[in-house]
Amino acid sequence: MSPADALFGAFSLPFMWRALVVMLVLSVIAGVVGVLVNLRSLEFITDGLTHAVFPGLAVGLAVGGASGVLPGAAVAALIGAVLLTWLMRSGIASDAGIAVVLTAAFSVGVIVVSKSDDYAGALETLLFGRVLTIPPSDVVPLVVVSAIALLLVALTAKQQVFRAFDAAGSRAAGNSAFALDLTLNVAVALVVVAGASTVGSLLVLALLVVPGAVARLLTGRLWLLFPLAGVFAALASWFGLAAGFAASVGAGIDLPAGSTIVAVFVVAYGVVLVGRLIRDAAVRRAQGRPTAPGEAKSSVAASGEGAA
Amino acid sequence: MTYFERAMLAAIVIGAVGGFVGCLVVLRRRTFFAQALTHGTYPGAVAAAALGVSVPLGAAAASVVLVLVMTGIARVRNQGAQVAAGIVLTGGFAAGAILAAIVPSLPVQPESLLVGSILTVTDGDILLAALVGVVALLLVVLFGRSIVFSTFDQAGFRAAGYREWPIELLVLGLTAATVVSALPAVGAILAIALIAAPAAAARIVTSTYRGMLVVAPVIGAASGVLGVLASRAFAIAAGPAIVLTATAFLVIALGGSKLRALPWRASAIPVETAEDARIA
Repeated sequence: MSPADALFGAFSLPFMWRALVVMLVLSVIAGVVGVLVNLRSLEFITDGLTHAVFPGLAVGLAVGGASGVLPGAAVAALIGAVLLTWLMRSGIASDAGIAVVLTAAFSVGVIVVSKSDDYAGALETLLFGRVLTIPPSDVVPLVVVSAIALLLVALTAKQQVFRAFDAAGSRAAGNSAFALDLTLNVAVALVVVAGASTVGSLLVLALLVVPGAVARLLTGRLWLLFPLAGVFAALASWFGLAAGFAASVGAGIDLPAGSTIVAVFVVAYGVVLVGRLIRDAAVRRAQGRPTAPGEAKSSVAASGEGAA
Repeated sequence: MTYFERAMLAAIVIGAVGGFVGCLVVLRRRTFFAQALTHGTYPGAVAAAALGVSVPLGAAAASVVLVLVMTGIARVRNQGAQVAAGIVLTGGFAAGAILAAIVPSLPVQPESLLVGSILTVTDGDILLAALVGVVALLLVVLFGRSIVFSTFDQAGFRAAGYREWPIELLVLGLTAATVVSALPAVGAILAIALIAAPAAAARIVTSTYRGMLVVAPVIGAASGVLGVLASRAFAIAAGPAIVLTATAFLVIALGGSKLRALPWRASAIPVETAEDARIA
């Protein structure tokens, strides 16, 4: 199979076309929301939310069948968002608190699912998704839910960025920190809901974390981050779907579609990271070693401290 | 030993070790890092299962690579520790899923690596966990002073002329070893609860570092025992039962501290001057 076949021809199949549409919508919106996740360092909360929707999915499936999945997940995600926002603000060992909330929620989900017949299948679907077998009736609710998330972020984008860079200033300017945190967490939760019932929680986490990180590597200009993250997410989703299709149909290796897309995201991140490091090194050399070795070391130490 | 007694023993040992090392993880705010390790070691576990070598060995090999990758990404400008953990977590999980899919006849169920199965742990698994516990105890006895200093006053520690990275590496190594030894019993997704919940509960209950190191393992072991008993009584999966028990301990500790903070014995504010009376 030629690369052109995998990249374009494959999507003439209805299920591939539907997967592409869903992935493009989700990845662009998740990329934009993900920039704020990155700026606010909310990766762990996002991970918590992807696990927190699990009991909602399981209970929704048990109570209302297939049509109960989305409402169940939405309720669980909203509870999770409120709980995590509150935990984050209460300050009591917040990251440990997130870890406990997410594993407890996940445990409830596992217990509910383990009472049903198809335990292993349900767990796998939740984690790794079923990108290629999304029923047509799921597409519209998914788009609506993620559009609401985008709207929430678009309406508060300026305030969110303000809060990300100057929390005290944002509060002093009259913005409610709690309202902003809750809005962002709810937006993340909605993206997670849209994704978890269709493409899997692992994939959603990758969609929310990786494009933002890539955009931060590519540019230092704030408002460029959002389009860059969206474009990166769309391209990586497209290539990921095509790669999975080429491997499965062309080479006969049965790659799981969701995991293949995540792998493409992470590999692309690695490429951009290496490119950035090489460029930085070249810039440093071109400037003729403006920093003494001692200075360079101290700046690394400072950035390490900022990261920790 | 019957399989149930062995499961009990495993729950006690792994709970205690998780609680002990969890204190360092929680105090140093490395929970997300530990979470990324638990997920990221999944491909190592799958690869080990596929090759027929012991699962903890594969997970340990994967964790060494992950620690290096994460430390590297965390030092890049504009990236940081959270991004590093997120990338490693999703990347590792995807790699594990792909491996599990392309290896045709995996001798173990991939799901059992995700949520664990405490009823099938071997004596070797228990021994490994106990060994990790002993090493952790020894290291904390030997280097406790430096660990406390660097945890509570990072800037002071550096200013006093000590190097940060040996302590960081020591704690990260212990975290990775704990995660790896807990994998067979509680799996890749739930292991983080055994590290975070007992330590967080102990932190609320006690006010000293030493007290935390004593209370957290006790809570961890108790969660293990009660969880295994609950799993038998209610016929639910053991891993989730242990996690929910540990969570219950944290909620009780949190509730207790909130109740204690309430003004139970409210005494009238003594009023001496007219100004006091106006404020009161």
